[in-house]
Amino acid sequence: MAFEPTKQKYTGAIREVTIGTGDKAVTVGGRSCFPFYTFEGEMPHPPRIAMEVWDKDPGDDWPETAKEPFKDVLGDPVAWAKKCVDEYGAEIVALQTRSADPNADDKPAEEVAAVVKKVVDAVDVPVIVWGVASHEKDTEVMRLVAEQCSGKNLALAPVEEGDHKQIGAACMGYDHVVVASTPIDVNLAKQLNVLLGNLGVKEDKILIDPTTGALGYGMEYSYSVMERITQAALTQGDDKLANPMVNNIGIEVWKTKEAGQTAEEAPELGDPKTRAVLMEAITAICFLLAGSDILILRHPDSVKLVKSYIEKMMA
Amino acid sequence: MKLIGENLNIVSKKYGKALKERDAKTLQELAIQQAEAGMDYIDLNIGPAGKYGEELMSWLVPVIHEVVDLPCALDTSNIKAIEAGLKAHKKGRAMINSIMVRPERMDALLPLAKEYDAEFVALLWGPEGMPRDENERGALCAEIVYKATEMGIPPERIYVDPIQTPVNVQQNQIMSALAFMKMFNDIAPGCNSTIGLSNVSNGAPEHLRPILNQVMLIIWKRWGMKSAIVDCFDTELHAIARGERPELEALVHKVEDGEPIDMDSLTKEERDFVKTARVILGHTLYSDSWLEL
Repeated sequence: MAFEPTKQKYTGAIREVTIGTGDKAVTVGGRSCFPFYTFEGEMPHPPRIAMEVWDKDPGDDWPETAKEPFKDVLGDPVAWAKKCVDEYGAEIVALQTRSADPNADDKPAEEVAAVVKKVVDAVDVPVIVWGVASHEKDTEVMRLVAEQCSGKNLALAPVEEGDHKQIGAACMGYDHVVVASTPIDVNLAKQLNVLLGNLGVKEDKILIDPTTGALGYGMEYSYSVMERITQAALTQGDDKLANPMVNNIGIEVWKTKEAGQTAEEAPELGDPKTRAVLMEAITAICFLLAGSDILILRHPDSVKLVKSYIEKMMA
Repeated sequence: MKLIGENLNIVSKKYGKALKERDAKTLQELAIQQAEAGMDYIDLNIGPAGKYGEELMSWLVPVIHEVVDLPCALDTSNIKAIEAGLKAHKKGRAMINSIMVRPERMDALLPLAKEYDAEFVALLWGPEGMPRDENERGALCAEIVYKATEMGIPPERIYVDPIQTPVNVQQNQIMSALAFMKMFNDIAPGCNSTIGLSNVSNGAPEHLRPILNQVMLIIWKRWGMKSAIVDCFDTELHAIARGERPELEALVHKVEDGEPIDMDSLTKEERDFVKTARVILGHTLYSDSWLEL
């Protein structure tokens, strides 16, 4: 008798979600098997990489190694975003509205939104607008962004239980995608999607952000929760969790101690750039295997590494 | 099933205050309510209670026994307070709640159980903390039961507690505690069992906690659980414990056995029991809105 490998039985599939418009719009999801298990089901769309752009000069918040590839554009978000797309092949731009942070620059919402609009108009790839996780400020900013960028099919993040009604309504009104963000818990992720559904947000307008850590900083736990979400969606037929996932990786990896230490500070950890790039790439690949669909990365070298990994896995 | 009323608890706003202020009247009112609700034991949870534990327990047990005849479950990690409670306990057989399966706890408390002829809750919490699966539960259970019976404590005095976890954080641990329960009679013949039931709904919306507790009780009951530590004000739950809701029990069993269920033919209450059984048993993933889905 011929050898018959055991096959996983699937009862659900991840739904397709599209962000952006036109030729460069990106569709993710549609997967009816575990990540890259194309011998068991369909994986019509590869996971995609978004490159991180800040709406202000990150200054001391970024290690030199992270700033180096962007040194001519830091502080000019439009030029920065264009550089990511034109030179580094970003398929999506993830614009972090750090200047809005009420505990730091606290720039007025109107000014923040105006810069977002400039960036959105300057690139043809989809844009994820990532706020500062302050319910009040994000609501103010995202309402303006949603209105001023109407028709661009942006993804707005993070949408949490505390501001889901405000930002969710703005997304519905101007046809954007909601990034539903919960603190690394499968039950809470489900609950927020239920609440968004009750509000009237369409199922194909939701991405899940499970709020994940970095290598050495909660990566394993993040993996487990993402795996649990994937399993619920695919093998338990849990309709409420059958949405693509997005991971805000760059910001988590590059704020770790090890990613920022210079060769003098930590000679035993090797070349600072290689070290941090590998930390970012390893975290990204780990989350790909757990079911991620969009990875937000910072360094062009990690982007290159992870892209080649995805190509090989999809081949 | 025997019921142990959990409400006299140091973390309760009302009764915690009464304990701190030695307000006998408030505590006695609760004791009377517990007796009227049909509780078989009154749990006296005074917390770790530090250096006041001994004095507090010596005061509390007679205060309760002034108004009711029910035995008390002495619920504290404070060994001196347990002994003080055992000394003061004159009505029926006292219960020690609990003895963990850790050498230092067993060495200190098992001799007290023997000396005062008390019952005790054998909490399956080992030197490394919470058991990871049913097999580790089995090993811990065998260890404490062996130690106790070797000292001459009769098995029926031992109430093994396989540890209830909340459905919204550790649903898989509910399954392993249940798997343990199915082996329990073979591992520890003649022993009793109990469970801190309300923990299943810890963190769930307050108004939805009773149905989680009720369905969980049905499942435990089916697998031979002898007693449970429960909310003394949840009369629906007590009715289930007394076997007065056989139709709901049968329905939950059907869910557990994977039988097809025609939801349209059910009442709202029955549908809610089916949905709740499904989240507890992991057929569907818990979320706070599970009854609306």
